[in-house]
Amino acid sequence: MSGAYPQMRDIAPIVYVVDDDESFLTAISRLLRANGFTVRTYSSAHEFLAQRDPGTPGCVLADLRMPGMSGLDLQSALAQSPNPLPILFLTGHGDIRSTVRAMRDGAEDFLEKRAPKEMLFDAVTRALGRDSRERAARERQRELRALFDTLTERELEVLSHVVRGRLNKQIAADLGVHERTVKLHRTAITTKLKVQSVAELTRLTQEAGIFPEPVRTFP
Amino acid sequence: MSLVTIIWSMIGSACLTLAAISFLTWCRNREAWANLFFSLLAAGTAAFAFCELGMMRARTPAEFGTVLKWGHVPTWLIVVSLVWFARSYFKAGRKWLAWLACGLRTLALVLNFLVGQNLNYREITGLRHISFLGESVQIAEGVPNPWMLVGQMSLLALVVFLMDASVTVWRRGDRHRALAVGGGAMFFMFSSTVQSVFVFWGIIRTPITASLSFMCLVLVMGYELSSDTLRASELARRLQQSEAGLHEIEQRMRLAVEAADFGVLIRDFTRNEIWASDRWRALFGFSETEPLEFQKILLRVHPEDRDALQSVLERARSGYGVYDADFRVVLPTEELRWVAARGRVEFDSAGKPTFARSVSQDITLQKKAEEETRNLQQELAHAGRVSMMGQLSSALAHEINQPLGAILRNAEAAELFMQDPSPDLDEVRAILADIRKDDQRAGNVIDRMRGMLKRGSLEKKPLNVGDLVGDVAVLVRSDATARSITLELIVADHLPPVLGDPVHLQQVLLNLIVNGMDALEELNRGERWVRVSAKLGGPKTIVIAVSDSGPGVPADQLTHIFDPFFTTKPKGMGMGLAISRTIIEAHNGRLWVENQDQAGASFRFTLPIAEQEFTT
Repeated sequence: MSGAYPQMRDIAPIVYVVDDDESFLTAISRLLRANGFTVRTYSSAHEFLAQRDPGTPGCVLADLRMPGMSGLDLQSALAQSPNPLPILFLTGHGDIRSTVRAMRDGAEDFLEKRAPKEMLFDAVTRALGRDSRERAARERQRELRALFDTLTERELEVLSHVVRGRLNKQIAADLGVHERTVKLHRTAITTKLKVQSVAELTRLTQEAGIFPEPVRTFP
Repeated sequence: MSLVTIIWSMIGSACLTLAAISFLTWCRNREAWANLFFSLLAAGTAAFAFCELGMMRARTPAEFGTVLKWGHVPTWLIVVSLVWFARSYFKAGRKWLAWLACGLRTLALVLNFLVGQNLNYREITGLRHISFLGESVQIAEGVPNPWMLVGQMSLLALVVFLMDASVTVWRRGDRHRALAVGGGAMFFMFSSTVQSVFVFWGIIRTPITASLSFMCLVLVMGYELSSDTLRASELARRLQQSEAGLHEIEQRMRLAVEAADFGVLIRDFTRNEIWASDRWRALFGFSETEPLEFQKILLRVHPEDRDALQSVLERARSGYGVYDADFRVVLPTEELRWVAARGRVEFDSAGKPTFARSVSQDITLQKKAEEETRNLQQELAHAGRVSMMGQLSSALAHEINQPLGAILRNAEAAELFMQDPSPDLDEVRAILADIRKDDQRAGNVIDRMRGMLKRGSLEKKPLNVGDLVGDVAVLVRSDATARSITLELIVADHLPPVLGDPVHLQQVLLNLIVNGMDALEELNRGERWVRVSAKLGGPKTIVIAVSDSGPGVPADQLTHIFDPFFTTKPKGMGMGLAISRTIIEAHNGRLWVENQDQAGASFRFTLPIAEQEFTT
């Protein structure tokens, strides 16, 4: 029953189940455990937020309707944390308004409480995969930011011209310096960022997202 | 003929005449004891008058003595009859004084025949001629008998007795009679006593003229007695008049009874007889000549109503005195008829029932109308419940889906566990127990929904208030959660049970709670609450309040909010509160609304506490 998640890392991801209905909470956590997931249960959103360790990967499976803090409240609270977790909602039927709002706010999936178990497992697995991917992406972002932080102000200025495809002569004219100085800056940039070509330099700059341009990080 | 003979003969004959008249009166009315005693008094006076005449005309001392001796017999009769006349006529005078006077007089009579020549003289030595009323009469001379004191004591006792009796009559307020009879009797008794004392002890020399005093006494009393007769005839005349009036009243009553279609029944317990008017007989299906018995009447009452009626009648008979009952009568033709009977029982001084009188009326049409109204109200209440369940359907589906989801997940988990070569059977057992529990939970919700949707008449029974409130909370909790409303239940500890129909009361609570929740739409999510509280409202009631944190009821709507078809909701029918009020009033309670000081409306209603001894 192992191997449910393809991207195992050092720490096993956890499925956090939040539901005010105690017997449903027990039942669904039993099922998830039986299928090999690591599960933690919480009877309210407050309890979960108070006890959560942001470093641990996983996903949240929450009831949309709860007294006090509802599933939607939990979603917005999670979105503001530095390490947001994908959230899956469990709903009864007829919660159209809430469903639409949750979807707009980027809910991972919606499941009826009595949805087939395969759908449930697939959805949880997908959410864990997405968390894993997003965590990796956030990690890469942090690495790239650190790399670009080594560049000086002047080098960043030159880089901004280079990635827009301008020639050394044009850059020298724009900045009012000698063409040779521009070449020296470019050499320093490629050395610091460990790239070989302008194409590679452009892709890396886009990935790091340092210039406010319409840059798509994910296709 | 001499004057003395004429006067004394007249005294005698007048008294005899009065005695005869009075005696005849007594013969015709044996309970008029005063008349008998008066007759004896008058007869005694007459006899004594003749004795006195005999003494005045005596030729020898021996003859004088003999007449005087026999003269004590009428004296005894006068004293005794006067005492008992006073007792029977005045209804006054101490008994022991009466017996004392009679006893002393009897003793004097006995001594009269045993000691000396007579009671007054041990020996009469001679006669003396004196002039009285212009002629010569005899008076005695001799040795006084000291035993004479006994006789005089008896007269004294009589005077005291009469004084005492007069005082009592005076105090009673009958002053005229006390003066006339008591004062008169005392005066004449006193004067004759004093005279006889002086005469017999030889202090003055006159013949005995006590009969003169006695006759005056007889006349005064005769006058009183005759004025009584006059009064009686006056009363009889008035009675005749009032009888005519009574007849008139009776006619009017009869008219009223017939107009109101009342049947009248009178039961005489002492003779064990029952009389009923023709209308009553028709009402209960008896012919006009059929003899009536209590058991036979009871058999006409519908078997289901018989026990209740009997216990109401029993209560009236055993001292309560009145009864009031509605019951069904089954006629010999199998026709059913509703009858209302109101009655009154009379008791004798020992508290035993003597008569029961009752009027009965056919109330079949009224009952039918009431039943129709009740049916309509119940239909309406049912419609209200169905519509409310419709509003709550999504919340209720959720409430059922929750345990169903848990059951499904548990079952799936168990299947996965069982695929293991050595499954954890304890875990599987726990799962099965949970499945059973969740099934019950879903079943409970469905049962409650079914209860609310059921079409049923109002049936009251003792209910636990906590359960009542809790059952309603099950139905609305999910809806409250979906609308981010806090539902608070505050039921005081140890509340006695109320008397009511669970479904109808749940409907009222549900209606009030849903109304409260509807009033909270405009509020921020943290400020929405509905509170249901129950506590004692008095020695016999419990107050249940449904309060909310909404804006409250506008002042101009407070009086109309319970009117049918009054609504502020775009989709409302305006029947919810009207139905709720009808239901609470059918429970002998009251439903009203108040705005709270802080915020929101508070709908309150009272319910009667179920009495323990309700069954009997």
